[in-house]
Amino acid sequence: MFFHIVLERNMQLHPRYFGRNLRDNLVAKLMKDVEGTCSGRHGFVVAVTGIENVGKGLIRDGTGFVTFPVKYQCVVFRPFKGEILEAVVTMVNKMGFFAEAGPVQIFVSNHLIPDDMEFQSGDMPNYTTSDGSVKIQKDSEVRLKIIGTRVDATEIFCIGTIKDDFLGVINDPVAI
Amino acid sequence: MARGGKHEDDYEDEYEEEDDEPVADYDDDAAEDEDYDVHGKGGSGGGRKRGRSSFIADDAEEDEDEEEEDDEDEDYRGGGGGGGRAKRKRNNKASASDFFDEEAAVDSDEEEEEEEGEDDFIVDGGPDLQEEEHVGRVRNTRMLPPHHEDHEDLEAMAQRIHERYGKQRMPEYDEETTDVEQQALLPSVRDPKLWMVKCLIGRERETAVCLMQKYIDKGSELQIRSAIALDHLKNYIYVEADKEAHVREACKGLRNIYGQKITLVPIREMTDVLSVESKAIDLARDTWVRMKIGTYKGDLAKVVDVDNVRQRVTVKLIPRVDLQALADKLEGKEVVKKKAFIPPPRFMNVDEARELHIRVENKKDSYGERYDAIGGMMFKDGFLYKIVSIKSISAQNINPTFDELDKFRKPGDGGDGDVASLSTLFANRKKGHFMKGDAVIVVKGDLKNLKGWVEKVDEDNVHIKPELKDLPKTLAFNEKELCKYFEPGNHVKVVSGAQEGATGMVVKVDQHVLILISDTTKEHIRVFADDVVESSEVTTGITKIGDYELRDLVELDNSNFGVIIRVESEAVQVLKGVPDRPEVVLVKLREIKRKIDRKMSVQDKLKNTVSSKDVVRIVEGPCRGKQGPVEHIYRRILFIFDRHHLEHAGFICAKAQSCVVVGGSRSSGDRNGDAYSKLSAFRTPPPIPDSPKRFPRGGRGFDSGGRHRGGRGGHDGLSGTTVKVRQGPYKGYRGRVIEVKGAMVRVELESQMKVVTGKFFNLGIHFSCVRFCSTWSLTWLFAVDRNHISDNVAVTPYRDTTRYGMGSETPMHPSRTPLHPYMTPMRDPGATPIHDGMRTPMRDRAWNPYTPMSPPRDNWEDGNPGSWGASPQYQPGSPPSRPYEAPTPGAGWASTPGGNYSEAGTPRDNSAYANAPSPYLPSTPGGQPMTPNSASYLPGTPGGQPMTPGTGGLDMMSPVLGGDNEGPWFIPDILVNVHRGGEESIGVIKEILQDGSCRVALGPSGNGETLTVLPTEMEAVVPRKSDKIKIMGGALRGATGKLIGVDGTDGIVKVDDTLDVKILDLVILAKLAQP
Repeated sequence: MFFHIVLERNMQLHPRYFGRNLRDNLVAKLMKDVEGTCSGRHGFVVAVTGIENVGKGLIRDGTGFVTFPVKYQCVVFRPFKGEILEAVVTMVNKMGFFAEAGPVQIFVSNHLIPDDMEFQSGDMPNYTTSDGSVKIQKDSEVRLKIIGTRVDATEIFCIGTIKDDFLGVINDPVAI
Repeated sequence: MARGGKHEDDYEDEYEEEDDEPVADYDDDAAEDEDYDVHGKGGSGGGRKRGRSSFIADDAEEDEDEEEEDDEDEDYRGGGGGGGRAKRKRNNKASASDFFDEEAAVDSDEEEEEEEGEDDFIVDGGPDLQEEEHVGRVRNTRMLPPHHEDHEDLEAMAQRIHERYGKQRMPEYDEETTDVEQQALLPSVRDPKLWMVKCLIGRERETAVCLMQKYIDKGSELQIRSAIALDHLKNYIYVEADKEAHVREACKGLRNIYGQKITLVPIREMTDVLSVESKAIDLARDTWVRMKIGTYKGDLAKVVDVDNVRQRVTVKLIPRVDLQALADKLEGKEVVKKKAFIPPPRFMNVDEARELHIRVENKKDSYGERYDAIGGMMFKDGFLYKIVSIKSISAQNINPTFDELDKFRKPGDGGDGDVASLSTLFANRKKGHFMKGDAVIVVKGDLKNLKGWVEKVDEDNVHIKPELKDLPKTLAFNEKELCKYFEPGNHVKVVSGAQEGATGMVVKVDQHVLILISDTTKEHIRVFADDVVESSEVTTGITKIGDYELRDLVELDNSNFGVIIRVESEAVQVLKGVPDRPEVVLVKLREIKRKIDRKMSVQDKLKNTVSSKDVVRIVEGPCRGKQGPVEHIYRRILFIFDRHHLEHAGFICAKAQSCVVVGGSRSSGDRNGDAYSKLSAFRTPPPIPDSPKRFPRGGRGFDSGGRHRGGRGGHDGLSGTTVKVRQGPYKGYRGRVIEVKGAMVRVELESQMKVVTGKFFNLGIHFSCVRFCSTWSLTWLFAVDRNHISDNVAVTPYRDTTRYGMGSETPMHPSRTPLHPYMTPMRDPGATPIHDGMRTPMRDRAWNPYTPMSPPRDNWEDGNPGSWGASPQYQPGSPPSRPYEAPTPGAGWASTPGGNYSEAGTPRDNSAYANAPSPYLPSTPGGQPMTPNSASYLPGTPGGQPMTPGTGGLDMMSPVLGGDNEGPWFIPDILVNVHRGGEESIGVIKEILQDGSCRVALGPSGNGETLTVLPTEMEAVVPRKSDKIKIMGGALRGATGKLIGVDGTDGIVKVDDTLDVKILDLVILAKLAQP
């Protein structure tokens, strides 16, 4: 799920950036530092959309660095248990398949794939229904439900299922 | 047990004869009221007697009881004479009353002890009473045997005996005995000792009875106290006595006892002799057991039937029958007995047996079940049904593994599916299995399938809070009725069993079996629900066994070798060093000979040197296309670790000959200073994509736009790079830049594990990937060198910095994805942060792939110009104010992760992608990055003007450096081809305008009309040999010289000013217009 939230961060800025572009530098650095990171609480910071407020800088003794408390708005993405996501299959193997929804990697175990879908090995491993009408392979887009998440400091890993109503392939790269 | 006390007997007889009635009265009282106090009352009321005598009396009673139990007829009838009838009468009373009597007696003496004082007091105070009680006292005195007074010690002994036995009996009736009381009963040094006497096997009981008889016959001459024969103890009996001599004396002459070997049982162990092991093996049907003896020793078996009376169990086993041997035996052939050989377990195939002419009978057992009987063995469904003694199986700590249980499923028919039967489950349980807060489910009884949470655990009972609201707050269950409960998605840790230590997420719950996805291996693990606990921890499980660790290269027997890919509890899985087909073996620790820990290097297919940690790509064989760092090298076999390879823990085994090095060799990087080796390295890049600069010259037109931003990174761009110290005490050392402060850098030396601080110019950049970067980087390295050689003091730290910053721009930016901002370390688990990748070509793969994560986008504004270019307001180089707040994330580079991200593709799977040469067009890897007209690269972006001093980059950058650092920008006085309106004409650049366009005078010597031409509309004329040239990029930018030779894409240039000969990329050379 995406959230547009306000976060705060203390930015340390090197004195060489002080000047008329200070604010720009600060913002650039903020984006550099923050975007793409992941925290267990908020999930992935997708984008900084704006600066709410840049507080007064505090010069640190000794280093000359200045710490600015920056409040910024950002879009974060955090997967939740029970959330329905659409994801792109990145890898298929006999144990299931991996899919990615943005930065989140989701594993769908073969136990969580409908029983009528069987694994077909080969050049392009895939899961196919017995009548061959539905096929999950690399680059397929699937709709899945997250049943578990593991949040580490730097990544979120999810287990998903497509063994439920209205879940499964939503478009097939082969068909296109 | 034979036990005796002749004196007492004698006296007792008398006593019985004369004083039968009072005793009977006691009995009556006790029997009626069932109250011990009765006697006390009776004692205090009815008989004030001297304590001492009363003890004797009690004692007598007790002994009498014992004898009644043991051998009443013999003793009483024989010895009792006239009293016999009375005794019988007493015996005829409810036997329970005997106990009470005894108990009462015991109790009474305690009371009497207390009473003694009282007695005295009363005696003193009330002589009348004394008179009254006289009868009782008389009785007591009268009953004493005449000779008794002479035996003071006998009395004492009797008392001792009484104390001992009287109390020891108590626990039998009194269930409320406390531990402390129990402790007090333990034998002490003052007690008789227990001696172990050897006797004939099988005659233990007989021997004990003999001793008893002897005692009866001999009476007090025998000074032993008791003799014990234990059923479970063969060859020995126990004799209780004070002295060893007494035992010897008693044993003398018994034919069953020989050797006179007598050993003392230590006091501490005395209780063990007679304590009954509370094994209480609850052997029920379907319990898993293990055979303790015989051919099936250690085999798992399932209890089919239990005969508690005969102590026999019918178990179901997988037969270990050698049919051939059986057939031979049945035919009467001589069977060579090979003792060591135990046939492997295999299901019995009746047809097979018939083929071997073994007679198979069809029988029915007592339950009417059909069996196939072969030579006395019963088979059913391929299993062997065997009747064994309970003693020959063990039912504790069975811990059947899944493999074993799987085998027990009938092959073919899928089994009963009840692999994880409850019995299995309970057998595995340890104490303290349930903890508060555990989610549990009821598996037995009325409330089956009720879920809840453990609230409290006491002993076997678990109090749970049920999930359902209507139920009482807590319910108590027996431990065995509960099972831990998990739901798919739970993150758990395995705490026991073969997979102990592993963590993972539950993907399926099948009754009591969970299927997990291991966090590390991404493999399925099957475990019992009971073996796991919920946990958020992430571990690999065990990674070390003995001296060997996961990923170690080990030598196995017969010169096999392989890499450990999995560590199990007692064995390791090894991927053997057999190229082209993954061969995994499970080896025991002792089968591993040694760890191979040798640093070697071999040559790859293209004769490049490969050493460990180098990234190679497999170009031949079944694993073609895979790539990853080399973990081990041994005998020309490489073990490559590919994170994306899910099998075998990511290891791939391949011949060195079928691999090629991708990127630079880590170890060969040392040779960087050596131009020749470097060059030779450049010469052999076939599978390695060329640097963009090798592409048609036209490219540089738009390069300028993106390239320019290179300088922006400033010092920060340097941290993390590998540098080489050029001067000072650490000269020649390589290291990684940790921090940059002004002109000083702190460098962590690779070889010394320490951090040193140095000045910039002492460092030379050490790029182990120079090969890969090709000439462009080379030039740049030369530039560094030149600084050094020419002792160019004018070099400011910033100058270097910018150059480093430029490093972040090396052409081989892996261009992993256009949507850089979305790249998080997760995309590439364990990989180095992206910025590394940007800074140095292929660094994320070629270099330390295991460096810990760091913010992924250290440098993206530099490294991802393609995306930036599209949103001018982000242009860092453009001075006009930019509303940072304004842009929505979607505007500049991406919309949502779900959207474009997918289009970005998965670079790692797409090899072409990963090596895509274009750093600046990451979004179109297959695209034509060099097309000058590519609109996306319009360097016209305001601020993109790299050339113009003052506008480039951040203000801290000196304009000159800005130029210095960049690639081949157009420069005045060079010949260019101008394509405009489909025409092509040659011209000379006269001036570079602010916006990046140029004023070009047409004509080979610039005589024609002057036009303003966009950089995209022109390209520099490639100089030929001996042309005068002007250098458009690099450190020598602006210098003129003469092209004295061309070598591939490199030009050999003699610089006019210094007369130095340089090797420069042709791309940055332009023909100088002849004035």
